[in-house]
Amino acid sequence: MRLAGLFSGGKDSAYAIYRAMQLHEIASLITIKSKNPESYMFHTPNTGITQLQAEAAGLPLIVAETEGKKEAELADLKEAVKKAVELFRIEGVVTGAIGSVYQAARIQKICDELGLWCFNPLWQLDQLQLLDDLLKNKFEVIIVGVAAYPFDESWLGKRLDRKAVKELAGLKEKYKINPAGEGGEFESFVLSAPFFRKKINVKKSSARFSGNHGVFEIKEAELE
Amino acid sequence: MILVVSTCADKLSEEEFVKPIVGIAGKCDVKHYTNVKDVSGYDKIIICGTALKDNEYLKNINGFLFLKETISPVLGICSGMQILCLLYGARITENKEIGMTKIKTLRENPLFSGNFEAYSLHGNGVDNLNEFYVLAESEESVQAVKHKKKNLCGIMFHPEVRNEKIIRNFLDFA
Repeated sequence: MRLAGLFSGGKDSAYAIYRAMQLHEIASLITIKSKNPESYMFHTPNTGITQLQAEAAGLPLIVAETEGKKEAELADLKEAVKKAVELFRIEGVVTGAIGSVYQAARIQKICDELGLWCFNPLWQLDQLQLLDDLLKNKFEVIIVGVAAYPFDESWLGKRLDRKAVKELAGLKEKYKINPAGEGGEFESFVLSAPFFRKKINVKKSSARFSGNHGVFEIKEAELE
Repeated sequence: MILVVSTCADKLSEEEFVKPIVGIAGKCDVKHYTNVKDVSGYDKIIICGTALKDNEYLKNINGFLFLKETISPVLGICSGMQILCLLYGARITENKEIGMTKIKTLRENPLFSGNFEAYSLHGNGVDNLNEFYVLAESEESVQAVKHKKKNLCGIMFHPEVRNEKIIRNFLDFA
């Protein structure tokens, strides 16, 4: 089956796409760039760089912009999926939804309206298991946004390696955070994945942090 | 031993509809329904749901005749409930519910009680349920049934999402 992967540039969507690739063809990626950093549906930091990730993966990318208003952003997503049907003859969509019934139900409805299959291969997956799977499969991931205590600026740009995963497991025990950031505690960016032909090299970046919120912005990056 | 049965036409859907059940059930055998021959050695059987777009199981209802022979308790989830109901005289209707749904318990049972919210993802419903007690309903449809004479239960919503305890109750008390 030909599928489109909803791709934020972060670890969950990338890993879901990788899982789907084991059984189906990923014909296209779709990125929704939300102007609203508090979007209910979409991951927001660094969505501008997904073009470089798509190039690294050798996959075509559809980018759609949305104002990020609660239900209007769904109409924008639906249009982008429709475009993937027209351009790449996709028969289904794959998402990185893990536990959000809000996100999952809305994407299910869009797929249903368009007569498409909807696959959520990470659905209900244990979050520490997910982090472990990423390491085992050699995903290279950095943290590009934090939005909850006790995450401080030291997390911005941090690589999600074995040591960081251990720290996240500790924070889960101590503060009951979602260790894979499913509750919006942090956002990630994939520098390299098993389906990338090249790696992303971040050449210039900046970090901003205030209160419990911080963003690691990739200003310049290249494929290597 | 517990048997977890996949009704998914596409293997990728099993990540979403079978794996979460296995995560709750623990040690169990997992088989696709087309590979189930003899179920006599299993203490409990769970028939999992499948993708909204997938109606393949309805075309292969004879592949589930093992459910008529077993004396072990069976829990059918979503497509699993539709299959149980079809095997015992019910009819499939069109009934789409996607997302969190209010569920009202109508009859006391060991799986759940009271009013609660559950995750729904189905395009079909059931009627003509003469051989079943209706255990629960939503505003739109029948949400849970139990066969009047056999230990067969069906749940239309997905208890593996936000209502895992229902599956544990089935494994512990049914």
